[in-house]
Amino acid sequence: MGHHIIKEVKQEKFEFTGRAKLVAIGLFVVGTILAIVGAMDVQEHWDDPIDKVETSSESDAHAEEAHEDHHATLAQHDDGHGGTHSEETQDAHASEKHSEVDTHTDSHGPTWMSRVWANLLLNSYYFWLFAVGAIFFIAVNYVANAGWAVMLKRIMEAQSSYLIIGSILLVGILWGAKDTLYHWSQYFNSADAGNPGSPGYDTILESKSWLLNNGSIFFFIPFVLLVWIGIRWKLRSNSKAEDETEGLSMFRNSSRWSAGFIFFFAFSFSALSWLIIMSIDAHWYSTMFSIYNFAISFVTSLSVMMLILQYLKSKGYMEMVSDEVVHDLGKFMFAFCLFWGYIFLSQWLLIWYTNLPEETIYFDARLTDQFKPLFFINLFMCFLAPFLVLMMRNAKRAPQVLLLAAAIILIGHWVDMYLLIMPGAVGVKSDIGMLEIGTTMAFAGIFIYTVLNSLSRANMYPVNHPYFLESVNHDVGP
Amino acid sequence: MYSADIRQPLVTGGKTYANVTEDICRPIENKPTKSWWTGFIIAIILLLVLVVSLSWTVWEGIGTWNVNKSVMWGWDITNFVFWVGIGHAGTLISAILLLFRQKWRMSINRSAEAMTIFAVFCAAIFPLFHMGRIWMMYWTLPLPNAFGSLWVNFHSPLLWDVFAISTYLSVSLVFWYIGLIPDIATIRDRATTKARKFWYGLFAMGWNGSAKSWGRYEIVALILAGISTPLVLSVHTIVSMDFATSVIPGWHTTIFPPYFVAGAIFSGFGMVLTLLLIVRQVMNYKDYITTEHLEAMTKVILLTGSIVGLAYITEFVIAAYSGYEYEQYAFANRMFGPYAWAYWTMMFCNLVAPQVFWSKWARTTPWFIFIISIIVNIGMWFERFVIIVTSLHRDFLPSSWVMYHASWVEVGIFLGTFGLFFTCFFLFAKFMPVINMAEIKTIIKDKE
Repeated sequence: MGHHIIKEVKQEKFEFTGRAKLVAIGLFVVGTILAIVGAMDVQEHWDDPIDKVETSSESDAHAEEAHEDHHATLAQHDDGHGGTHSEETQDAHASEKHSEVDTHTDSHGPTWMSRVWANLLLNSYYFWLFAVGAIFFIAVNYVANAGWAVMLKRIMEAQSSYLIIGSILLVGILWGAKDTLYHWSQYFNSADAGNPGSPGYDTILESKSWLLNNGSIFFFIPFVLLVWIGIRWKLRSNSKAEDETEGLSMFRNSSRWSAGFIFFFAFSFSALSWLIIMSIDAHWYSTMFSIYNFAISFVTSLSVMMLILQYLKSKGYMEMVSDEVVHDLGKFMFAFCLFWGYIFLSQWLLIWYTNLPEETIYFDARLTDQFKPLFFINLFMCFLAPFLVLMMRNAKRAPQVLLLAAAIILIGHWVDMYLLIMPGAVGVKSDIGMLEIGTTMAFAGIFIYTVLNSLSRANMYPVNHPYFLESVNHDVGP
Repeated sequence: MYSADIRQPLVTGGKTYANVTEDICRPIENKPTKSWWTGFIIAIILLLVLVVSLSWTVWEGIGTWNVNKSVMWGWDITNFVFWVGIGHAGTLISAILLLFRQKWRMSINRSAEAMTIFAVFCAAIFPLFHMGRIWMMYWTLPLPNAFGSLWVNFHSPLLWDVFAISTYLSVSLVFWYIGLIPDIATIRDRATTKARKFWYGLFAMGWNGSAKSWGRYEIVALILAGISTPLVLSVHTIVSMDFATSVIPGWHTTIFPPYFVAGAIFSGFGMVLTLLLIVRQVMNYKDYITTEHLEAMTKVILLTGSIVGLAYITEFVIAAYSGYEYEQYAFANRMFGPYAWAYWTMMFCNLVAPQVFWSKWARTTPWFIFIISIIVNIGMWFERFVIIVTSLHRDFLPSSWVMYHASWVEVGIFLGTFGLFFTCFFLFAKFMPVINMAEIKTIIKDKE
């Protein structure tokens, strides 16, 4: 193109200012207070009858029906125990409706604590996905020998630094929430488990005990996370060491670790998504589920990357990152919005078309009551809106438009996660209020603090990366 | 565009622009070599097998195949999916790699696109002849009832297939042909015989090489790449829905669309490697299709093979998890039933064998890659066989359980499609430049 080739780049270092710290800590504190107040409010009003019972009893009846359908479907599999099973369902419903103080009869229905735990799980998982997507993207760039994104590498690394604290939070919340959120966990703790004569015996859950058990939650998940954290640590320390050393040794080493990571990640991430999210609706299954979670992870982490990049640029850092690189990151966001749409459609269409009750029940629950509008908001915000916003070339070069698109995507996928978790974990009593917003703010505070802190711990540009100058001089051509 | 020092050159041997033209026009302008004739004759013989088998099918009827009431799809649909899958690499290489600006695609895209088109021809044979009355094949199209058919069923994924594949074929054909025009013009300009001047002149469509023509050419290529990219996904997505929209255990699973797409890319790259390793050897194009190219392609094989393996394992684990005994039985039957040998062949060829490409030696040793590429082809054929036959031969009704073995006619048609495929490919290699001269010239000084 006849451009002047840039050979030297002035190194920068991000300064995590007191003001930025204050914002992050403020978000955390305000969010926590909001969440606590919200939770107390939820507790207080938990036993109130749902508004809709008075205003539109029809839709509630429909939900109730759907819920019973679900159990009826399961009962069909439950040869010989079907009748007694549905009785148990009625009991559960009764307790859900009246929710007496008696915690014994309550153990099967959601309590106000379900909503609290479900929120914690949602946000701990969602923010953790940003870090997971970032480390995956680092690895992909190594393996693909990609040059264009090298200047963004420190952003990705900083984003992936949340993996450690995020994993600790996630595992802690999982351990705490296990008996409240996971129907299967309650079941296996009950006297019905392993007792075919008992009225609540659930053949389907019994057949899943090899995966849904304490071992998976207490050992398997932490094991996987430790491996990821280890590889992430290796990549990060190689990257930092590369700043001090010439030559390709760090690059080669990181490439090898990246290839290994991607391979291990593909299998382990699948298992984690089943265990952590899919098992909330323990009777339901879909082979696409893990890919669906991966799609969420990747597109949201690209959007977060874009937000961080634009933030840094607005503060006068990363001036060397040209519009070409920004444009390419925008293309990735666009492409993976489409990817999510593709995965959503594939799963949805096949389940809709086949119309098997044990599968459609999942979407039935998400298309009734308060979840119905969210379902369409989800589709709009995760696919249609970013698709239209990001389609034009100039949109992918305009910071404001990119910020808008990233915000739409991130809020959209929050709703997406909400729909994956809430109908199964909380049911008709779930809502979006102070509790939800506060929890999200608190997690955002932790995330921002961790990421910016990590960003300030290393140089902004990995100048000794062999493809660094390619990124600096990146040019797509006409 | 700036390239890092550690990038390898895309074309080795210090080729000049003149060398590129000479090297790539040589097979077209010279008499065919002995090895070309040998290969071509073998291909023609196989093509005759196709003609005989198909004629017999039409003459006697579908009863000459061993498909039956339970296994109503056998080798035919296996072969159909196999060939459609192979057709995927061409568009992936020309479209998606173009969007990703992967310059290494430039020495392989031409033959990969040609392969795509021939593979789709082969694929189309199977569903059309399976309908029994090939002369009614236009009934697959939504034509008014006055033409004799009933209005087609838009609810059926089989009809979606008709649209998906015909769109794919036409876009691929246009893409391929437009890419050929500047090269055809080069041959026209060098032509020494009248016939060559006429025919290449005709197909060059008056290409004059002006800056304006080139500008338009590049824009068209980008637009076509944009159009083809969703097609790469859509075709095999729709093909997977032929199975996944059913309620058959082992077929109805939500992961099918992306898993089929990954499998198609995997098998397509398998076939690209098989063909290009031959081309590279026979036509002596080692400076254009370098070990760097082989390495890149084997990495794609490793990646997509692992994705396919992940899908196998996901399906299996979720079947075990589902608590749905029919689904569980379908998988147990695949693994330990009468077709277990096919299942384990598939597992070995698709999941285990490509893992050798973790080793740099394996990625850069042509004869070894060739062997693995054949294994990949075999494995992907078996994958479709396993999916189709093992799910059908033992259905919900044990009284209709049967075994299925192909008849000689079915085997003949399958072997015959290789004849068609290679006949087309040999003719292509003789009359068209197998490497895109114009594009290669833009990168002979570039690095990967």
